[in-house]
Amino acid sequence: MREEIFLGNGAVALGLLEGGCQVVTSYPGTPSSEILPEVVRLMKSQDLDTYVEWSTNEKVALDNAFAAAVSGKRAACCMKQVGLNVAADSLMSAAYMGTRGGFVIISCDDPGPHSSQTEQDTRFMARMAKVPVLDPSSPEEARAMAGLALELSEAFQIPFILRPAIRVCHARQNLEWGDLKGHGPKASFERDPGRWAATPRFRFLLHRELNHKLQEISLRFETLAPYNQHNLEPGKHYGVGIIAGGIPWSVVQDILSEEERRDVPVLKLGAPYPFPQGLVDTFMNACDRVLILEETDTLIEYLLRDQNRVLGRLSGDVPSEGELVPEVIYRVMDQVLKNHGLEGLRDSQDTTAGKLVEILELPIRKPTLCPGCPHRASFFAIRKARPKAIYTSDIGCYTLGLNLGAVDTCLDMGAGITMASGFYQSFHKDGVEQPIVATIGDSTFYHSGTAGLLNAVYNDARFILVVLDNQTTAMTGMQPTPGLGIRADGSRGNAVSLERVIAGCGVNFVEVIDPYDIQGMTALMKKAVQYVQRPDGGVAAIIARHPCVIAYKDQAVLQKKQVKVTEACVECNFCHERFECPALYKDEDLGRTAVNQALCVQCGVCMQICPKGAIVEA
Amino acid sequence: MRTMTSVDFILAGLGGQGILFMTKVLAYAAVDKGYKVMGAETHGMAQRGGSVVSHLRLGEVRSTLVRKGAGDVVLALEENEAYRNIPYLQAEGQLYANAAKSTFPREAVKSYLHKRGMVYRSVPASEIAVSLGAPMSANLALLGFFSAYQSHPVSYEELKTTVERISPEPFRAVNLKVLQSGYEQAAG
Ligand code: SF4
Ligand code: SF4
Repeated sequence: MREEIFLGNGAVALGLLEGGCQVVTSYPGTPSSEILPEVVRLMKSQDLDTYVEWSTNEKVALDNAFAAAVSGKRAACCMKQVGLNVAADSLMSAAYMGTRGGFVIISCDDPGPHSSQTEQDTRFMARMAKVPVLDPSSPEEARAMAGLALELSEAFQIPFILRPAIRVCHARQNLEWGDLKGHGPKASFERDPGRWAATPRFRFLLHRELNHKLQEISLRFETLAPYNQHNLEPGKHYGVGIIAGGIPWSVVQDILSEEERRDVPVLKLGAPYPFPQGLVDTFMNACDRVLILEETDTLIEYLLRDQNRVLGRLSGDVPSEGELVPEVIYRVMDQVLKNHGLEGLRDSQDTTAGKLVEILELPIRKPTLCPGCPHRASFFAIRKARPKAIYTSDIGCYTLGLNLGAVDTCLDMGAGITMASGFYQSFHKDGVEQPIVATIGDSTFYHSGTAGLLNAVYNDARFILVVLDNQTTAMTGMQPTPGLGIRADGSRGNAVSLERVIAGCGVNFVEVIDPYDIQGMTALMKKAVQYVQRPDGGVAAIIARHPCVIAYKDQAVLQKKQVKVTEACVECNFCHERFECPALYKDEDLGRTAVNQALCVQCGVCMQICPKGAIVEA
Repeated sequence: MRTMTSVDFILAGLGGQGILFMTKVLAYAAVDKGYKVMGAETHGMAQRGGSVVSHLRLGEVRSTLVRKGAGDVVLALEENEAYRNIPYLQAEGQLYANAAKSTFPREAVKSYLHKRGMVYRSVPASEIAVSLGAPMSANLALLGFFSAYQSHPVSYEELKTTVERISPEPFRAVNLKVLQSGYEQAAG
């Protein structure tokens, strides 16, 4: 046994390996990204032969892991909640087909949201797909539930979803752990077309089978202590009880024990679907009112039959947007207890601190591209060459091109391209040739760029596509991409050339440039404009290729140029607004812009952008 | 007053300042002393230079987040982030910031801190780190400074042992130097 402080995602990885998981696939996305790297770290430390892969997207990850489970192995796929949307088609069908080996889909939610486009609740996806879901309240519980999910999935032959929220994924907790064993059945496949290739007539039968499994599992969930459990005292009746799951349950526990409250019973629902109706009825019968604290949406609330006695989001007692952080839960509990004739909480909350911070008008620190980031150079050149364009963009670090006025839209993965073609067709229909520049990162392009690009070429859309190829998946923590051919465990796979994929989609203008060369990139953009406008032209693709300065610390800036700002600086603010390198700041004493040498990575790009030529080599 | 079941820290700063490493040092030092550790970190978009907050709770707790108004200590690597996180502190909580002694804290803040009986101290952690040739190590200077006033839950010596153990080899010596230098700033 050894003790280690695990990241929640590491605890999930540990649980999977302890549960004999043989195959783990993933597409990175905050807050799920560290699960697979943690699996790799743990398996290497113990010489396990677990199969791991960064899949090209979440649907691909789910399908690959599902096949492994069909072959009898225990398998898992990991993604963020919006990634499960991409995999939804597979999920719905896999629920009907069922599984042989234990199969767990790990979908990490982001109440807040902190790093996502929506606050959607994976538990609703589970309900829609008719797949059981577990909702851990701590890293330790996530670890235990990962193993439990594999076990129950195998026992009931149905996929399970594990839904850790961000405060579990990115929590830290010390855990003890021991040796991991690599074990599990060899892959085998028994033909059974009525199941693995079912036509609609058989699907009806599979649906009936699925409903039957759910009934059995909901009975199992009635007694799934300590995950589904209440602390009612026999024969006692209560004014207010609380039903909670996941992180809100942990917060409620802390508050009640701090306040030494024994008059408020709690029903924990760590396994909320299929709904353990009997357990919930018992609890409801012992309480006049029940407060529901769940993240992120209203699953438990919807599943309760007697809405009249329920206090939650639907009744307006719990906020419907944003994270249920401890101070929010504290406020809600205090209010609900008082409203229903019970003593409120005693630790009065001080609101003056919040007011103080407001008065101070502290600068909002918005995230920004790193000093030396190649995307900054690309965006600068794009705006310079095509100032009046609509800039459709996509999901990654480069969404921060927003700050530079070079990102106008960000819908979902791949929409940089599909919204570009959509805009083009809408304007074109009205006889307007609207300039459009789409930006998309390399990893996002491999994830879901090709279908949209094929469609754009097929339907003769005209726009410039700039693939921001920084040779990594930067935002989520530097995972490799298919373009590199390095696999999840560090071994060599096959590199898939971006140029060839783009050309393969039917694009006849494909050029590669290093965006640090702003002049060169601007000139190439102009050439692309001409191509787009030619009658026989089409989509013009530019691959702006330069490694991320964080992922490739030593290789990203080969020719270091120390820069300084001369007296020629007139404080026009151009470099701050249009270029926004964090290493350039306004020096109030000097009365002009200056370089913070501690932050500067000496890329020298800023020397090319100052209209007064005030930024020069030192 | 709430019952003391845990020591609750907020570690705050900007993306890239090494908040996570500072949390790790404190957390491992506490684990070595037999504490249970719970915490929550910021990953993703905000790491690109945005406000970063790390919660660290030592003791018998379940929630990974510190509740506003219930925290014991705020350690901030940037002055504005120090102010921004004051709401986490309980009355008589402690605020440590990487900031110039002469200007910290701003007047409006000072009277608030007094009113609530809060302790505040600042140290030019970035300057110390730069002067020792390790501009990215202001985090350890602040931690060393803090430990000079507070040996609970972990002492300076215990932090030192942890820094020695978990620092990557090329940075070990300089990390220890920065930690010590922050510690000595308090004495002087
Ligand atoms: S991590 Fe890399 S890609 Fe992301 S902003 Fe920084 S330099 Fe750019
Ligand atoms: S050289 Fe200029 S653009 Fe590059 S990091 Fe330094 S200040 Fe920023």
